[in-house]
Amino acid sequence: MVNVNYFEIFGLEEKFSLELNTLTERYQTIQKSVHPDRFAHASNQEKLLAAKKSTLINDAYQTLKNPLSRAEYMLELRHVSLPNEQASFSDNAFLMRQMELREMLAEVKFADNVESAVFEASQVLEVEFEQHFKAMQVALIDNTEASNKQASELLRKLKFYQKLHVELDRLEDLLFDD
Amino acid sequence: MALLQIAEPGQSTVPHDHKLAIGIDLGTTNSLVATVKSGLAETISDDKQRDILPSVVSYQENEILVGDEAKSFSISDPENTIVSAKRLIGRSLADIQTKYPSLPYQFCGDDSHPSIQTRSGTINPVQVSAQLLQHLGQRAEQALGGELTGAVITVPAYFDDAQRQSTKDAAKLAGLNVLRLLNEPTAAAVAYGLDSKQEGIIAVYDLGGGTFDISILRLNKGVFEVLATGGDSALGGDDFDQVLVDFIIERAGLSRPLSTSVERQLLEQATQTKEALSSSEIHKITVPLANGDEWQGEISKAEFEQLIQPLVSKTMRACRRALKDAEVSAADVKEVVMVGGSTRVPLVRTEAESFFKQTPLTSIDPDKVVAIGAAIQADILAGNKPDSDVLLLDVIPLSLGLETMGGLVEKVIARNTTIPVAKAQEFTTFKDGQTAMAIHVLQGERELVDDCRSLARFELHDIPPMAAGAAHIRVTFKVDADGLLAVTAMEKSTGVEASIEVKPSFGLADNEITEMLQASVANAQEDMQARMLKEQQVEAARVIESVSAALSADSHLLSTDEVADIEKVLAELAKVSQEQSADAVEAVIEKVNVKTAAFAERRMDASINKALSGHTVDDL
Repeated sequence: MVNVNYFEIFGLEEKFSLELNTLTERYQTIQKSVHPDRFAHASNQEKLLAAKKSTLINDAYQTLKNPLSRAEYMLELRHVSLPNEQASFSDNAFLMRQMELREMLAEVKFADNVESAVFEASQVLEVEFEQHFKAMQVALIDNTEASNKQASELLRKLKFYQKLHVELDRLEDLLFDD
Repeated sequence: MALLQIAEPGQSTVPHDHKLAIGIDLGTTNSLVATVKSGLAETISDDKQRDILPSVVSYQENEILVGDEAKSFSISDPENTIVSAKRLIGRSLADIQTKYPSLPYQFCGDDSHPSIQTRSGTINPVQVSAQLLQHLGQRAEQALGGELTGAVITVPAYFDDAQRQSTKDAAKLAGLNVLRLLNEPTAAAVAYGLDSKQEGIIAVYDLGGGTFDISILRLNKGVFEVLATGGDSALGGDDFDQVLVDFIIERAGLSRPLSTSVERQLLEQATQTKEALSSSEIHKITVPLANGDEWQGEISKAEFEQLIQPLVSKTMRACRRALKDAEVSAADVKEVVMVGGSTRVPLVRTEAESFFKQTPLTSIDPDKVVAIGAAIQADILAGNKPDSDVLLLDVIPLSLGLETMGGLVEKVIARNTTIPVAKAQEFTTFKDGQTAMAIHVLQGERELVDDCRSLARFELHDIPPMAAGAAHIRVTFKVDADGLLAVTAMEKSTGVEASIEVKPSFGLADNEITEMLQASVANAQEDMQARMLKEQQVEAARVIESVSAALSADSHLLSTDEVADIEKVLAELAKVSQEQSADAVEAVIEKVNVKTAAFAERRMDASINKALSGHTVDDL
C-alpha cells in the first residue's frame, strides 16, 4: 500500500464532489479494523503495522475530507504541478483585491460596531471564496490540460482566501476573548 | 487418572481467561483506580474502603508514604511532602517557578530536569507519579488477586508531548504495562457513551483541582472522535480556594507573608467554605489571629460567586473557542458531560447550562467518571471484548513544528489533527558547504520560537557539502496513538541517510529510567536480567498467540509451504522461550517477524477489504 490511491482506499470514485457522510463512515469502518487500539495486546510487529496503516488511513481521510486538499490531491494525481507559494502572481487584479481585503480586515477593530464589522467581513470573504471555489470545481470536472491548469491557479487563489479567513478568526479571538 | 487435554488444531492452548486490566485516573489532587468486573466498571477501594487516593507522596526518614497517610504531613512537613506533582511533571524548572512561585519545595537539578531535594534524597516529579501509580497498581493486584495485563492511564487532553512522555515513564517506573494513555474527557465520554448508544456532538467539561479541559467529541456508531480540545493546564478548583483565601485574608485584616501552617489552615477553611456553599447560602468562618484572638466572619454564596466569576468565565471562553475549532455551534451539542469535583460548584453548572442551553449530565460521580471510563477502555484493549465496536480517535492538542530562520516556527502538524499521524516537511541549507543542521522541535500555537514550548533539540551531521539550498533535508514527525512524538531527519538528495530519534528534553532518558528501575526499592530484589527475560517471554507468548490465531483464521492467504515454514519457526520460538536467554528469545521473535511480515500485511489489507465490503452490503 505504498502508492495507493486515496479514493480507492475508501472505495470511492475519483471525483471532486463526494458524499462526506459516506467518506466518514467508510473511514471509521476501516479504522475500526486497523487502529492500534485493536492491537494493544498483540505482538510488536502487529502494533507497528497497525500504527502504519492507521496513519495512512488518517492521512487519506484528512486529504479527501477538506475540499482544498482534495483538489490539490486530484491535481497531483493528474500530474499537474502547483505553482509554489513564492512564485510571482501574474493576476494583478487579484493582487489588488487581496490588498483591499487585507485593509478591510485591518479596519475591523476600529469600527463603531466591531461585532457587525467582523460579520460583514466574513460575509465578503465567503462570497468571493464561493465564486472561486465554484469555478475551480467546474475546471476540475472538465479535466482537460487547460482546465486543470486553471483549477490549479484557482486553488492557489483560494488558499489566499483561506489565509484571510484564518486571520479574521484570529482577530475575532483577540477582540472577543481576553 | 484424569485424561490429558488436547486443544483443537490452531486454537490457543491457553484457556480463554479474563485478563486483569485497570484504568487509572492520575489526578492533580486525587487519583483513582477502577476495573471491569463481571461486565460492570467500578472503582477499587483499599482495605479501609477508601477509593480516592490523595495524590500526595511524603518522603519520611525510613519510608515513603502515599495518599491519606502522606496527606497529614503536607501541613507539618511540606518540604518533604509532594502534593500536585502532576503540575510539575514534564515541565522545566523556569516554567514551574513562574507558574507556581510559592511552592514549599527545595528545587534542584538543571532547568530541563528539575528535581526536589527531600529527606530521602533528590526526587524527580516522574518518581512521585510513579509512587502513586505503583500504589494503585498494587491495590488492584491485591483486590483482583492476580497479575495485571495492563493499565489505561488518563491524562488531560491539553497535556503536551513532554507531559505525556513523562507520565508514560512514570508508569514504566511503576512496573505497569501501559495499554494506552487516554485523554480524560474521552474517558468520561466512554463512561457515559457505552451505556446509552447515542449519536451526535458531545461536550466534556472537566474542571478538576488543577486543570481545566474542554473537549468536543463526535459519537457515531461506537466511534468516539475528538473534534477539538482546549482548556488551561493551570486552572482548577484549587484556584477557587486560592481566591477565597485572599478574600479571607483581606476581610480578616491579615497581611502576607503568613506562616506555612496559617496558609494551610486558611486553605482548609476555604475548601470547606467552597463545599458548604454548594448547598447553603451562607458560611461562617473562624480564623486564628497572631495575637491569639480569633476573627469571625461569614461569606455568602453571592460573594463567593462574584469572586470566582472571572475564573468560570475563562472556562466558558475556552468552550467557545473549542466549539469554533470543532466547527460546530453550541446548538449542535447534544450532551454535556460534567467531570471533576469542581463541577459540583453550582455556579459552574448554571454557567455551563446557560452556555450550552441544556442541563449537563451529572449522573455518574464526577470524581469517578474518568477512572470508570478508563477501566472500560482497558478491558477492551486487554482483549476481553473481542467483539467490541468501540473506537477512540484522538487528536493532538497543540501544533508541532520546527524552528526556522529568524526564530520563527514552521508548523508541521496542526493542532487537532487525528492521531496516529506522520507528516514530513523538507528544509534546505542556508550556507554553501553547510554540513550540519540544528533541528529544534517545538509545540504550541504561536509564531515565535520564544512563545512556544521547546520539546527537543538535535543536530543532523554529515550532510554532504553542497551549494546553499541544494540539500533536501526531510524531517518527519510521527505521533502515535498515545500522542507521543518521534522526530527523524534525513538528507535525501544524495541518498545519504542520517536519522535520529528524539525524546522530549523534559522526559527522562531511557538510561535514566533503567537506572531508576535498578535503584528503586520495589525492584531491588528483581534482577534486571530476569526482568528482561520475562519481558521477552511475554512478547514471545503474544507472538505465538497472535500468529497461531492468524494461521487458523487466514491460512488461505498462504501457500502450504509458507504455512509449514511459519509453523516451524513458531515451534522454535515456543521451545526457546522455555530457556533462560533473553537474547535468544528476542532473536527468534525477530525471525518470526521476518517470516510473517508479508502475511501480516496481507491480512490487514484483507480485513480492510472485508470491513468495506460488509459495509457495502449494509448499504444495500
